[in-house]
Amino acid sequence: MLVEFELIKRAQSGDGAAFNQLVLAYRKRILGSIARLIGHPEDVEDVGQEVFLRLYFSLDQLRSPEVFESWLYRLTANAAYDYLRKRGRRMESRMADLSERQVIVADATAGEKAGRDEGERKRVRDAVESLLGAVSEEDRVLLMLKEVEGLSLKELGTIYHVKENALKLRLFRARQRVLKAFRSAQKQSAGAGTTR
Amino acid sequence: MDSGETFRPSQDEERLDTLFQAYRNACPDPDPSPNFMPQLWQKIEARERVVLGFGRLARHVATAALALSLIMVIALSLSTNGPSALDESYVEFLAEDHARQNLDYVEPVHLEPADFQR
Repeated sequence: MLVEFELIKRAQSGDGAAFNQLVLAYRKRILGSIARLIGHPEDVEDVGQEVFLRLYFSLDQLRSPEVFESWLYRLTANAAYDYLRKRGRRMESRMADLSERQVIVADATAGEKAGRDEGERKRVRDAVESLLGAVSEEDRVLLMLKEVEGLSLKELGTIYHVKENALKLRLFRARQRVLKAFRSAQKQSAGAGTTR
Repeated sequence: MDSGETFRPSQDEERLDTLFQAYRNACPDPDPSPNFMPQLWQKIEARERVVLGFGRLARHVATAALALSLIMVIALSLSTNGPSALDESYVEFLAEDHARQNLDYVEPVHLEPADFQR
């Protein structure tokens, strides 16, 4: 937890200053998660403000401060999902867009490069964005929370109020779809490489 | 024949994990803009105004509905009292009329002595 339970309780009782402190403590982390969930940096702040707006108006429904973080992640996942659904993300992401240039980032050094070079970062973002076009918005958010945000099945179960086994199955299927798209893109790029 | 270009599932899984990790690095937690908090509070206040306005409207509607239902109750009670008063007077009228008619029957028959003598 980034804050004391007392602060959450004060915010729950309508203390604006306490709520302000709560937002200041969590906003960077939440904005990061949103950036990775939606993949559109230009809209991250808007979605982030929507998350904290929902938090402000639903804080009185929080049963205990212990579950605050999973509550906040739930709001984040829902806001990201709503954004993706509105945007019609899948219209613009097609498997055909995944070029060899994009697939090449999946090599062992890609992670390091992506941390340094903005061009490389964009290629990685585009590659993942294209691959995630193979799954629904709901599955995209779930997969991102697990694979990129590193949340455990137990944490996801708390966020989604779903049993771990059901989540495991859903994640497996979503990952298989992405993996299939990934293989197909690799074959395409390998084919393009041999014809040159 | 395996030319080395076919991809084993485990290798693909690893590469996909690497790609996800690269994506994590490519999207670091962004620094919020200086306008983040002021804009957030503006949105909160705007939403609160809408909620308050809606609440006020709902209260007005509820008051109007209550007043209307009171008026209807009064009007209904008046209209149900009306016919019963009429009924009562009609019954009274009938009773009176009946009493008048009964008077005719209970009136003693006057027999003229002359008739007996005939």
